[in-house]
Amino acid sequence: MARTEAEVSAGLLDAEGRAEMERTWRGRPGFWGWLTTTDHKSVATRYVATAFLFFLLGGLEAAALRLQLARPENGLLDPDQYSQLFTMHGTTMMFLFGVPVQLAMAIYLVPLMVGTRNVAFPRLNAFGYWVYLIGGLLLYSGFALNTGPDAGWFSYVPLSGPQYSPGKRIDVWAQTVTFTEVAALVAAVELIVTIFKQRAPGMSLNRMPLYLWSVLITSFVVLFAMPSVALASLMLAFDRLIGTHFFNPAEGGDPLLWQHLFWFFGHPEVYIMFIPATGFISTIIPVFARRKMFGHTALVLSLVATGFLSFGLWVHHMFTTGLPQLGQSFFTAASLMIAIPSGVQVFCWLATLWAGRPRFDTPLLFVLGFIVLFTLGGITGVMVASVPFDQQAHDTYFVVAHLHYVQIGAFVFPLFAAFYYWFPKITGRMLSETLGKWNFWLFFVGVNVTFFPQHFLGLMGMTRRVYTYLPETGWGPLNLLSSVGAGVIAVSVLLFLANIVRSLRRGAPAGDDPWGSHTLEWGTSSPPPSYNFLHIPVVQGLYALWERTPDSPVAVGMNPRRREILLTTVLDAVPDARYQHPGPSLAPLLAALAVGVTFIGGIFTPWAFVVGPALLFPALLRWFWTQDRHAGPPTPPEEPA
Amino acid sequence: MSAPRTLVDVSRLPSVTFGHRSLLWWGTLGFALIEGFTLVLMAASYFYLRLNEYEWPPGRTPDPDLLIPTINTVLLLAVVVPMRMADRAAKRFDRAGVIRGLLIALAMTVGVAVLRWWELLALNVRWDAHAYASVAWGGVVLHATLLVVDVFETGTLAALFLSRKAKRKHYPDVSDAADYQYFLSLAWVPLYLIVYWGPRLL
Repeated sequence: MARTEAEVSAGLLDAEGRAEMERTWRGRPGFWGWLTTTDHKSVATRYVATAFLFFLLGGLEAAALRLQLARPENGLLDPDQYSQLFTMHGTTMMFLFGVPVQLAMAIYLVPLMVGTRNVAFPRLNAFGYWVYLIGGLLLYSGFALNTGPDAGWFSYVPLSGPQYSPGKRIDVWAQTVTFTEVAALVAAVELIVTIFKQRAPGMSLNRMPLYLWSVLITSFVVLFAMPSVALASLMLAFDRLIGTHFFNPAEGGDPLLWQHLFWFFGHPEVYIMFIPATGFISTIIPVFARRKMFGHTALVLSLVATGFLSFGLWVHHMFTTGLPQLGQSFFTAASLMIAIPSGVQVFCWLATLWAGRPRFDTPLLFVLGFIVLFTLGGITGVMVASVPFDQQAHDTYFVVAHLHYVQIGAFVFPLFAAFYYWFPKITGRMLSETLGKWNFWLFFVGVNVTFFPQHFLGLMGMTRRVYTYLPETGWGPLNLLSSVGAGVIAVSVLLFLANIVRSLRRGAPAGDDPWGSHTLEWGTSSPPPSYNFLHIPVVQGLYALWERTPDSPVAVGMNPRRREILLTTVLDAVPDARYQHPGPSLAPLLAALAVGVTFIGGIFTPWAFVVGPALLFPALLRWFWTQDRHAGPPTPPEEPA
Repeated sequence: MSAPRTLVDVSRLPSVTFGHRSLLWWGTLGFALIEGFTLVLMAASYFYLRLNEYEWPPGRTPDPDLLIPTINTVLLLAVVVPMRMADRAAKRFDRAGVIRGLLIALAMTVGVAVLRWWELLALNVRWDAHAYASVAWGGVVLHATLLVVDVFETGTLAALFLSRKAKRKHYPDVSDAADYQYFLSLAWVPLYLIVYWGPRLL
């Protein structure tokens, strides 16, 4: 928009100001820039891409498992390979794809949606990605060297303890988990602070979009869930490496302590993937139903309730361990109770669609697919929340079917909806709708063909994690059907990849806001410039862009020659301070490498816990002593202290 | 031509703020929550494992000694005083006061970290003896890692202010470091009571 002279002199930036902003905020060029960037968009894009690569690897592992089970007494995989593959599949999907991809999407979207220029702690953000990458590489290096973990993705002791799992396989698993915990925790802290302190002026809590609520609550869940598994994985590593006895019953330890600590994390983890997915849905539905969301307040309260209740369910994974009856009743009640906020959300979404004029583009199709699959997974969830039923279905394919309906339905489908919806913002190009619709229908059919028969297999007595079965069991036909379904899913995912490759080259240009959306990220160009917004917008309503007018106010007066961001108050988002962000740096990568030396070296020698921190200290010194450097013009000197 | 916009001028807002008005304060709070909750889970594990034994400590394991741990706990709580001095000096932008407070706090924290070794010996049992030993060592070592982080943070800040490279924006960092120190000192008290007094009371 052309600025009048009066506006320029009042502080609005002109073309020159825009160029100055670009010089201040852009990263270094080339490979060095790639290693040192702290721009949330660059970090998040590679984070999402890495997580998606792990999704593909986890999918290939699943395909191998389904090929093996397609017929009775199949000899494609031996028991050891099978055990490694199902452990790799679960570990990859939960630790290297599920949680990271949700946090990565948030790292991309949150700063844009709150109307700021970067996440709260940009270097910590880069550090988190590198730590995550090192963790993923560790797991797959181990697997390539025939040291892939083989005790299942929840690695129960005593199977995973020193006595029954000698060698290094479980150590690789435990340290991979530690890496991903560190990455998730730093991301959670950044996201909370970004949402609390960097919202655009006017975006008071009651005007905050639902996706931001979902990320805020998820981040708090991460804060309280991840320490549990970090502690558990450290205890397991110490039991295996230096002879502690946390889980050794012969010396007063307790295998059930592992289960408690693991599931105190493991159950909220499901919600760490699911709550942001509800945020995607609550963002997408109003856009495609072309009306405001029905029951905004009820949705926010449901998210908060889900966050709290997610910590009250963990014991329902342990119903067959011989709990006191009061414990069983309590956790059954809690497990049933979480269906209430979930139900409230589903009804609000349906009401919005019902009262709107829905436009059935691919993002909305994936949302509708989600509602069907999530409801089916939710119903079996209510079934296994009941102790007598759970004792029959425990460790059978019924549970495998349930968890895949929930995970794919409630997390992967909304994620694909989000990919289709935000791809134009991230790349500036539209994905093909035709390929998108094929992608959706094949995925939807494939998931049902794969997993619906598994309910019956479970009820017929097929236990999970068996590498083969006899023909006399009668499980052959349903297993074959399930494997055919997996093939359909694979074709669908290949179509998605083809769609991305095609659209990156010759997708239709997206423009700033191809969908007619309401959140702030669509108020800047696609892809967004390095500084996100030339002027920080001032928000005037819950649906920021729908309620914006050409003369809507913006904030001026930030120094374009410094990496300044605007801090606002937590509740009302009143402008409160200007804060200078640090520039690009190699220090986050160096610090992550030092953490890598500590945890990977720790598998082989306790001295790594001396050497690693010794390497970490210089990296941190570099981190904190080079805060003011950036690729732009020299920073104006600050007044002396 | 478009209508003139309403502009919200933020150029006069401060660039140095303390407490909940600063980003790092929130970051410190986040990490204190994570670390504090990890300590809570370690304490919960301690009580959970207690249920497996008739005697606590089990067998012929002696009770932990109290002398060194008690002295060290008092010393760790006393670090709050010089950190509070540094905190108040930071809010006045008083460089000399900040340096004085930080150096005293640093010396005391290094002392606590060194005494921590004798605190471990005061447990009177090796970590690999049984689950009691593992979880007692676990609690003390976990807190010790946070202590090392604290020594690093206080040391770096002291060096920064001594080197005269500190700017106005670094003063709130001192305040945040002080908040972290308060957390660290207070978080130790329940752990100290559980690990060193627990065997006598449980």
